[in-house]
Amino acid sequence: MTKPETILKAEDIHKSFGRLEVLKGISLEARNHDVISILGSSGSGKSTFLRCLNFLEIPTSGKVTVHGEEILVKNGKPQNVRHIEDIRSRLGMVFQQFNLWTHRTALENVMEGPVQVKREPNAEARDKAEALLKRVGLEDRMHMYPSQLSGGQQQRVAIARALAMEPDAILFDEPTSALDPELVGEVLKVMQSLAAEGRTMIVVTHEMGFAREVSSEVVFLHEGRIAEQGPPDEMFANPKTEVFERFISKVK
Amino acid sequence: MNPIEILFEYWPRLLDGALMTLKLTFLGALIAGLVSPGLALIRVQAAPMAQAPLRLYVSFIRGTPILAQLFLIFYGSGQFRPALEEWGLWTFFRDPFNCALLAFALNSTAYQTEILRGGIMSVPQREIEAAKAIGMSRSKILRRVVFPHAYRIAWPALGNEVILLMKASALASVVTVFDVMGRTRQIFSRTFDFSVYLWAALIYLCITAAFVLLWRQAERRLSRHIHAPGTPRASAQPFKESQA
Ligand SMILES: Nc1ncnc2c1ncn2[C@@H]1O[C@H](COP(=O)(O)OP(=O)(O)OP(=O)(O)O)[C@@H](O)[C@H]1O
Ligand SMILES: [Mg+2]
Repeated sequence: MTKPETILKAEDIHKSFGRLEVLKGISLEARNHDVISILGSSGSGKSTFLRCLNFLEIPTSGKVTVHGEEILVKNGKPQNVRHIEDIRSRLGMVFQQFNLWTHRTALENVMEGPVQVKREPNAEARDKAEALLKRVGLEDRMHMYPSQLSGGQQQRVAIARALAMEPDAILFDEPTSALDPELVGEVLKVMQSLAAEGRTMIVVTHEMGFAREVSSEVVFLHEGRIAEQGPPDEMFANPKTEVFERFISKVK
Repeated sequence: MNPIEILFEYWPRLLDGALMTLKLTFLGALIAGLVSPGLALIRVQAAPMAQAPLRLYVSFIRGTPILAQLFLIFYGSGQFRPALEEWGLWTFFRDPFNCALLAFALNSTAYQTEILRGGIMSVPQREIEAAKAIGMSRSKILRRVVFPHAYRIAWPALGNEVILLMKASALASVVTVFDVMGRTRQIFSRTFDFSVYLWAALIYLCITAAFVLLWRQAERRLSRHIHAPGTPRASAQPFKESQA
């Protein structure tokens, strides 16, 4: 069996905010169909790392390659800035706080990327957006504004918005952390179905159930470094490092 | 003459004045409205040094009476007539209407710039981030996210500014523009009948009222996303009964 192709590769990512070094050299590779869960305690740099992948945060140094297009960063300066927008359009992102455009309806939120960034014709984008909203179970909420939707519904719109760009991979930053407990399930269910259809996903999460059962690989960050990494079964069964052992005993 | 007779006799002139007031106000506000978005962006994004001239301009406009600004342009241009003639600008400045329009446009530009700047700064950062994350270019983000929000936030204050400008436009009568106030003064100097000023006040009031109505209508359309019916919780939960 040949290995699936590499979709995203991050090499030796460093990031400092002033004197605070948050990421101390992180490398990660996501192959097609991978679902990678990133775990770690608060402040370990999970969000920062994820945001470095699509350059919402510019790394201090390192290299990010998406679908063969690479951006090398030295001294906080990306070498080919022009590729940034391109890489972003190839990576979907789902935020903790949904970040929907509040002045647009659910449907308009989902259509925005295809029409404005990919320049797809309106009618085509609308059909696709309707299908995607249906897929996340919101066919009867398409014309509502974010203020009329619950957190769980907003997050599902946000997922549909990311899917509409037909991304090579989707980044999730604690997609269920801002939700009331009873709304977490509906979002996890959608994410699970994405994993099942073979989407490449990188998920920062505190949901141990998701990390164990859905992901193909778990990465544990500690103080800006990867402390442990591997398939979830192995990692959870016998943690190699003391920090990870302490981490799982705490969240259990 | 009683007030009704005054109106009967002079309504064409008053109407003419009203049209002039409208023209002066809305043209001035429109010109300012076209220039201010760019200036507001500079105020938000440019380096402090690059902003210095703009800040000076805004401080000057805000710190001096609009009548002084009008005189500066009207009488000032007279002082420099030879130079202006040489540059072919005198035909513009010779007309008091143009001087008034320029003064009002410059004045309103300063205020609108500051209002919009406030709007731009209140745009939710998260939404800008979401736009970046799907690969939108900077200019697209401005057009699709930043300005749509900024205008919604600034809308009521911008309406206020237009009303203030409309009232200030009465000053144009001082430099012989025949707006509502110009016509009224003209009529008064013939009839010495005080009631014509009451009619003038009524005209200003009507213009303001009509404008407020229109502006609110637009505001309602712009803020549909906030006042849309249906509370989040009531329709939120597909699986469960709503909880207390
Ligand atoms: N823009 C910023 N400026 C300065 N410091 C920052 C900035 N963003 C993050 N940090 C710091 O970087 C460190 C890592 O933050 P990060 O948000 O990546 O953590 P996290 O692992 O996502 O935590 P959490 O689980 O709480 O979301 C923290 O100490 C944080 O204070
Ligand atoms: Mg985080």
